[in-house]
Amino acid sequence: MVFLENLIHILYFVMAGLIGLSMVKSLFKRKKNGSIVFDIMYAYCLIPFLLRVLYIK
Amino acid sequence: MEATKKRFILKIAILVVMLVFAAIAGVKFWQLRHYKETIVLSEDITDVKWLSDYCPSLKDTWLDTPVFIADSGVEGGTVFINGCPHPYEPASTMAAFLMLENIKVEKGKVIIVPRANYSGSTEGMVGDAYPRFFTVETQWGGETFRIGDRYTNPLDQWPDPFTYVNYPSGQNLAYQDIRNLNRTYPGRENGTITERAAYAIMEIIRQEDVDIAIDMHEAEILYPVTSTYVAPAKVLDREKFLETGVMEYIEPERNSLDVAMMAAMNIDQFFMKCAASPNTLHGLSHREWADWSDAMTFLMETPEIFIDKITGPRTEALLYEGKDEFLQNVTDKGLTYFPYDMEFGTPMWYRTARHLSGAMEIINWAALFYDDVECIVSWPLYEEMAEIEEQGIDSIGYFLKNPDAPENEANRFVIYHKPVEK
Repeated sequence: MVFLENLIHILYFVMAGLIGLSMVKSLFKRKKNGSIVFDIMYAYCLIPFLLRVLYIK
Repeated sequence: MEATKKRFILKIAILVVMLVFAAIAGVKFWQLRHYKETIVLSEDITDVKWLSDYCPSLKDTWLDTPVFIADSGVEGGTVFINGCPHPYEPASTMAAFLMLENIKVEKGKVIIVPRANYSGSTEGMVGDAYPRFFTVETQWGGETFRIGDRYTNPLDQWPDPFTYVNYPSGQNLAYQDIRNLNRTYPGRENGTITERAAYAIMEIIRQEDVDIAIDMHEAEILYPVTSTYVAPAKVLDREKFLETGVMEYIEPERNSLDVAMMAAMNIDQFFMKCAASPNTLHGLSHREWADWSDAMTFLMETPEIFIDKITGPRTEALLYEGKDEFLQNVTDKGLTYFPYDMEFGTPMWYRTARHLSGAMEIINWAALFYDDVECIVSWPLYEEMAEIEEQGIDSIGYFLKNPDAPENEANRFVIYHKPVEK
């Protein structure tokens, strides 16, 4: 149970990292919603994922 | 082509700006997470254990925390004091720190956990723009302490479920309560990290044969159970529950509620009332400690307007002085559960002193009801602190000891989730 708990915990950190990467990809390469507003949105939304993966917040 | 290149550079610039914001925020979060509080232990502290001594899987986690024992060596009652179950109720922690620095025990044993949910103290309240720290004025300048959150830090326990099912009652609670130490009792040895901390606290009570267990909290004045002792009138028939799964409540061998009522009636320095712990609300200390151990259990709440939702800006001054005109208006309309007066506020010293005197009153009344649990102990009390405040001196700072003074070096202790070299 403790092992599973830890495994799920780590998997969520990995998922946060993958979502962060997908945001970086969407910032630079996307087909829809091309305006600068979406650039700002993707860069801004990256912050919590970055801080989580770095084990800061 | 030129436009594409310009757009790429713009994207990089936006990313860099956001990374700068992330770095600024990250430094603040990092400081809060890793700030170490230092206290000077009383000479009467005879032993230091860790929560992981009672639940080994907590070792090297952020839920491990020191457990201080002051044993007089004279046979008597054993008292357990739980500080900081909800870190955003900091008078609970300050009361525990003042006990640890000033305790004298003549009979019996006192066990104190000053930061029960250490992990929760390492993050701030999300979205509420809380200050991270507060500073107590002392003779040598000031000592800084963390405020913290209500819940275990998600860095240590994540994800949350859609709903939290308390073990073993099976009661459904709000999803975030899976990280709320005071909703996860009696805990389980192989559960989530918060449940394991709850289990370790139960093990302290069981293994150390605790007679009187006191859980220190703070509450909003818009919440009915503010300024209150909560104690159980009846306790779970454990044998029947384990055999049949049926929850039936019986008269306890020693009645906490009687003790709490006498203590509340006897306190004349401040307003204190008494409430019976509901049989049907599970996971809380005043219910589960009594149901799953033989200790008399008490929860104490002080009035902390800082966590009321209708105050002005949540500043360090609001936390420390507790003066807010919005709550005064609400009180004038008879909508609060505490006779709030903005002139006086609900200052930190007042709330800390309430815990110190409130716990002492319980210990003394328990001994009058049941003489075998007598514990003769002393620490600063409300009257002394009020007198010091009248002289314009911060009474919390007055009773704190300077951790950097050479004469205190031997008793200096860094509160952290693992031992820190002196």
